[in-house]
Amino acid sequence: MNEQIKVPKIYIDLLDQVFEIEKKVENLTESNSISRNITRLKEIFEQLEADGGLVYHNPIGEPYNETRTDIEASIAGNSADNLIITEVIKPIVRYRKGGITLIARKGIVVAESKS
Amino acid sequence: MENTINFGIDLGTTNSAIAKFVKGEVIVFNNPLDYGRATLPSVVCYQKDKIIVGSQAKVMFGKQKKDAFTQAFFKRKMGTSESFPIKSQNRSVTPIELSAQVLKELKTFVNTGDNLESVVITIPASFDLIQSNATKEAGYQAGFKQVVLLQEPIAASLAYANMKKSKELTDGQWLVYDFGGGTFDVALIKIKDGEMKVIDHEGNNFLGGADIDQMIVDKLVIPKINAQFSFENLEDEMKSASGKYNSKYYVLLSRAEEAKIRLSAVKSAEIVVDGFEDEEGNEVDFEITITRSEFNELIKSSVDGTIEMIKTILTRNSLGSKDIQFTLMVGGSTYIPYVRQRVEEILQIPANCEIDPTTAVAVGAAYYAATKQKEISKTDKQQKKTALSIKASYNKASKEKDELFAARVTGDTEGLFYKIVRQDGGFDSGLKKLSERISEDLPLVENAYNFFTLTVYDSLNNVVETDIEPIGINSGFGISGQPLPEDICLEVDDYDNPGETRLALIFQRNTILPTKRTLTFPINKTIVKGSEENDIRINILQGSHLALPEANKSIGFIGITGKNLKRDISKGSDIEITISLSESQDLTVAAYLNMADQEFKETFNPKERHTPVEMLKEQVEDLSEKLDEEIEQATEKEDYETASALSKLKREMDVVAEETESLTSDDVTDKRYQLEDKKRKIAQEIDSATKHKRIQKVKEHYFETKAECLKHLDDSGNDHERKTYNDIVSQEEAFMSTNSPIKIQEKSDELQSIIGQIRWRTPDFLTGIFNWLKGEQPKMNDQTQAKSLIDAGKFAVESQNWDRLREINFGLLDLLPRGAKEQITTKIGFGL
Repeated sequence: MNEQIKVPKIYIDLLDQVFEIEKKVENLTESNSISRNITRLKEIFEQLEADGGLVYHNPIGEPYNETRTDIEASIAGNSADNLIITEVIKPIVRYRKGGITLIARKGIVVAESKS
Repeated sequence: MENTINFGIDLGTTNSAIAKFVKGEVIVFNNPLDYGRATLPSVVCYQKDKIIVGSQAKVMFGKQKKDAFTQAFFKRKMGTSESFPIKSQNRSVTPIELSAQVLKELKTFVNTGDNLESVVITIPASFDLIQSNATKEAGYQAGFKQVVLLQEPIAASLAYANMKKSKELTDGQWLVYDFGGGTFDVALIKIKDGEMKVIDHEGNNFLGGADIDQMIVDKLVIPKINAQFSFENLEDEMKSASGKYNSKYYVLLSRAEEAKIRLSAVKSAEIVVDGFEDEEGNEVDFEITITRSEFNELIKSSVDGTIEMIKTILTRNSLGSKDIQFTLMVGGSTYIPYVRQRVEEILQIPANCEIDPTTAVAVGAAYYAATKQKEISKTDKQQKKTALSIKASYNKASKEKDELFAARVTGDTEGLFYKIVRQDGGFDSGLKKLSERISEDLPLVENAYNFFTLTVYDSLNNVVETDIEPIGINSGFGISGQPLPEDICLEVDDYDNPGETRLALIFQRNTILPTKRTLTFPINKTIVKGSEENDIRINILQGSHLALPEANKSIGFIGITGKNLKRDISKGSDIEITISLSESQDLTVAAYLNMADQEFKETFNPKERHTPVEMLKEQVEDLSEKLDEEIEQATEKEDYETASALSKLKREMDVVAEETESLTSDDVTDKRYQLEDKKRKIAQEIDSATKHKRIQKVKEHYFETKAECLKHLDDSGNDHERKTYNDIVSQEEAFMSTNSPIKIQEKSDELQSIIGQIRWRTPDFLTGIFNWLKGEQPKMNDQTQAKSLIDAGKFAVESQNWDRLREINFGLLDLLPRGAKEQITTKIGFGL
């Protein structure tokens, strides 16, 4: 039996925004240190509880197949062979406690055949 | 053993669900692989070696994959002779087989340990006898021994009737308006003498929520992109599978769905369009705002289409709006306010939205199931237990992204299947044929323990017992990491003891290296750019965090003065200190001043020491003072033994002080390190000579507090407070034996807070505080408010309304001007 975890939606919403900002900052050359604030935000979520917290994972570029139940995918193009994740709409949010992780929210992605 | 069926299944065109009646309530089972959802997409995907049902199959629908075949919407074909060819397997599957797969998958939702043999399955009102029989057959193929059918609109009505327990449905008629993910149905229900019947129905098999998302993109988003950017044929390039922007189309569909959901709650929603360029190379990155009225306009014709069908039903049955009690809203799309509103407005029949539209049909089916008797003879139930033994082999620790799992199965594997699922729900192998040897690549979540379960099923998806244990693989954890030999601490100002500093624990002894931590503190003094008057000190020490700061070894130090700053930084702004220790114990300290956006970073090698002479001088001075105090106290208490030991230390200290004083701040010799060592030794000795005294003191204080607390508890404590007290006392032995003054003090503080809680409830205390506050009135900030609070307080005392008096006391306390800020230490620049 799988364990399930219910995380307050507001945390997930906030993390999605952090993820969006992080994505945007990557393309930015700036002298300020926005990425530091992003890292801090992520750390705050990582340390929500004494020994646990939320982390997100950007699966861009990873292979996709139907065994990946941590992701909700749409497949672009006709072919569904050799799929690679090409767009990440929402990252995978995991709840981490000790060494154990649980999926708090699936990632939402678009996958395309690389062949 | 229950005699009623109790299980109900909504076998939907787009989504299915399963529910159970338990002691008067219905629970809808959650999809174990789809968080927060209770539904299973009715889609089946056949692959070379496995069958996948649900969300993951839905992804594949309409796509070409080698050796794979995916089918959805097969419910529309129930009862026809049509079948779907699976080319790669040289066979075809019937809608019945596909439905059976969905039903089997739903069985895996049931986590109550029930053995499902009897079930109620819902069917659309439009199903004829052949279609109904086909549904029954699907149920039998899925392994149910008894299948009872129920019409969906009736199921929804039952869910409503059971929710309104007090109000029995009286004779009359109503409409069930079922607007789901992919289909629309409406039915006219009549209840007479307690018998519910579907009188008439209409429907559209190609209208649902997914169509609305598509309309948003096609009719609102794409035109707006075209208006701002130049594309030759954006819509085609997006919607054609081979189109240049096909992947963007799916991104937009997903965002459109999100906007649609938001629009049910708010007046406008944004859709972000970004991540590509137009044909002239301009970057597309903008937001489209969709207002609710735009959205309503968009779906108006579809909604009106559904209303037309209702009108047809009414006309056909010579009924007017007045003859209908209400329209019961079912299906996810009825969450849209406009749908509810429009239906109500045009038909002039109240819309009833009281039941959960996504699970109502399954819930109603379960209520119905609770009234139906099981009709299975016991002999049928005997099942042969398959004695299966599985021997697994895999690496228990791995740094790879996936790990090969291999197993050998002994026993009869004929007709059996297996499935491997990762416990966090992120991986599902799909249902595969069991053979003597199985091997599977298991994907791992980095830096975590990954647990997988392998479950064997028979052809009807009943679990077959095996002897396999859960599969546990540890990913990435440094098995080689060495433990930290001593605590690592940060010196901070001690806000409880003005003038003193204390140690904050950063890494506990035996933490596995490498490790890293970030702490944020508000700075407690202002530092002016260019000035050297004030400074911030980041001093990292190694040694027990319970000891005096002077007794530990400084292993890293960063001093920041105004000279290092780009701008002034004010008191209250944050300093962020990140401390990391590498596997070889290299210490890196980074201090970031938020206000100045400046970072100070240094790596300290344990072989080198950083001991600024100025700091050493100050520490020696402090230590001498402390020593004097201790000697005085010991003499006072006639503890001559300690006093003489301390006096001896004092003499040594004087020598060190003298030598330190003679050091120049840029002294290059080893002298400062030698002096620091001496100082540390002396500090450690002071620590041990006086520790006994300090512990004695905190212990005494603890027992006094404990006695006082007990007295208060006996007088007017509540159960919760008693429990807290007992919890503390039961740990007494443990924390006393640590001999740590800080630990014991902590417990005294906890007891103190219980006392506080109780006192704030006792009339004597509350009146006492109130009387004192009355005297303080002239000092208060807002005289009018103070007066009215005091008047209210007097009344509360008279009427003995203690809760009110407590509130008033708090209010009055707030009005008191803040006294001169308590003296705090600002030596370090931040504290605890």
